[in-house]
Amino acid sequence: MAWRNLGRNRVRTGLAALGIIIGVVAIVSLGMAGVALQQQATADLGSLTNEVSVSAGADSDEDGVTEEQVEEIENIITDAQVIPQKINSTEIETRSGSVYVSVTGVTNASALYDVSDGEAPDRLETGALISNSTAQELGLEVGDPVAYEGQLYRIRGLIEADDGFGGSGRGELVIPVSGLRDQQYYDSVTIITGGGDAAEATADQLEERFNVDGRDKEEELQINTFAGAQESINSFLNTLQLALLGIGSISLVVASVAILNVMLMSTIERRGEIGVLRAVGIRRSEVLRMILTEAMFLGVVGGIIGAIVSLAVGLVMFNIITGDALAVLGWASLQYLLYGFVFAVVTSVLSGVYPAWKASNDRPVEALRG
Amino acid sequence: MSVIELTNIFKRYQSGEETVDALKGVDFHAERGEMVLVTGPSGSGKSTMLNMIGLLDTPTEGTVCLDGLNVTGFDEDELTEERRSSLGFVFQNFHLLPMLTAVENVELPSMWDRSVDRRDRAVELLEVVGLGDRLTHTPAQLSGGQQQRVAIARALINEPDILLADEPTGNLDQETGQTILEEMTRLKQQENIAIVAVTHDKQMEAYADRIVTLVDGVIQS
Repeated sequence: MAWRNLGRNRVRTGLAALGIIIGVVAIVSLGMAGVALQQQATADLGSLTNEVSVSAGADSDEDGVTEEQVEEIENIITDAQVIPQKINSTEIETRSGSVYVSVTGVTNASALYDVSDGEAPDRLETGALISNSTAQELGLEVGDPVAYEGQLYRIRGLIEADDGFGGSGRGELVIPVSGLRDQQYYDSVTIITGGGDAAEATADQLEERFNVDGRDKEEELQINTFAGAQESINSFLNTLQLALLGIGSISLVVASVAILNVMLMSTIERRGEIGVLRAVGIRRSEVLRMILTEAMFLGVVGGIIGAIVSLAVGLVMFNIITGDALAVLGWASLQYLLYGFVFAVVTSVLSGVYPAWKASNDRPVEALRG
Repeated sequence: MSVIELTNIFKRYQSGEETVDALKGVDFHAERGEMVLVTGPSGSGKSTMLNMIGLLDTPTEGTVCLDGLNVTGFDEDELTEERRSSLGFVFQNFHLLPMLTAVENVELPSMWDRSVDRRDRAVELLEVVGLGDRLTHTPAQLSGGQQQRVAIARALINEPDILLADEPTGNLDQETGQTILEEMTRLKQQENIAIVAVTHDKQMEAYADRIVTLVDGVIQS
């Protein structure tokens, strides 16, 4: 009966269902977008989560990390590579043109850099590394010389393009740390640990040694992990996702108001009929059930179609954000399809409650009069 | 025992500061196998009285007894049960559901009851009223007279004790009206029910066993 009642005014039913469909698509695709972003962020940062980055702290007397501090770090952290760096910037000129690069002075180059051509020694005492893109721009190859501060360095390797987070877009020139001897202190120390947890543990160790003095917190060294950054990013993305879902929910609420309107109109139009039903002995609870079922069907139909459309949108979204369309079928994103559908059905039924209540309690005498 | 008995029925309406008495001390009864007509001018309270008999409305004063059972104090759900099992309604406007077929319309009063399947009886009733070949027609595909016959069949689906008719021939031409009245007479004897009809149609008087006249809420004797 409920099904046939909906069929009597197909346009009206269709439009109400359309409202639900749009609401479901809004919620589900926003939920899925959030999941896709999180998955991609994790992938992007993954390669860097094992690093701990140390630089001068806010309460430090020096504007860099001192030799003594580096030695202390090396004493404390014995199971990871400790790589101090000095950083500057310069303009490189060649016959083909000039380009601004950042200059990093380091000893253990192999730990920090991957080369696509040539080699990255673990004790860099002569020669330099230069980023691939810069080399191409300047027409340089392995073996060519590069000048910095009056010193010539022969290129020994080309640094592979950074696929991670934090590429500054500027080229990089890597030379022996002795080339930056005018700088007294190290700008940063990178510690490469075994993984995200090891990085956290290392960071805690260093925090305790350098930044806790009795009961005071004095930041002698600033200790950063990408794991921490990743957590912040994930936390941000979570909040963002909640906000987006909230906005998406509004559209579903709007759709349910539309359903309320449709159900109300339809029951008012059918007042005489419902009066007849009650006169021939159909109980109030049966009338209530009939109308709630009509509302539920609207929600189910809208929910199913909405879920199908959302799945299509999800495939496209995952493809754009992560490059892997089928990842949308993972439970993390698929659960939103379920939520969206359930939400649609529940809000539709709730919207039907008032019209159903009103219709079932309408006195037959009044209803038949009209 | 009368199948329906109204005793000293009063129905009062409050409209603003005025009280209007639609029915004043009405006594009425009907027996199985008889057709009783209720006539009178407009506004005399005929419909109100029919509503009392049909358990669609409750009196301000007085008692209503259905087959000896005092239903005066019943609440809405209890009244609904009595209507379901003991009463059948035929309206001037037929009031068939447009999206259901003839057979489904006849089944309607029993449709929500999962323990019972009245499909066979519905088909039988439609055959009895001469519509055996139109079982799957919707109201739009039936003439006025045919629709009213479907309505009569519907009224009988739950084997009621009383058939209540509110201007049953009101929307039908003379000839069709006659057919309907003959149908109702036959059924009243076949099913052994009482028929109470409110009407302005003089034609019906020939078919009535008894005629009751109501003027200004009072039965004329």
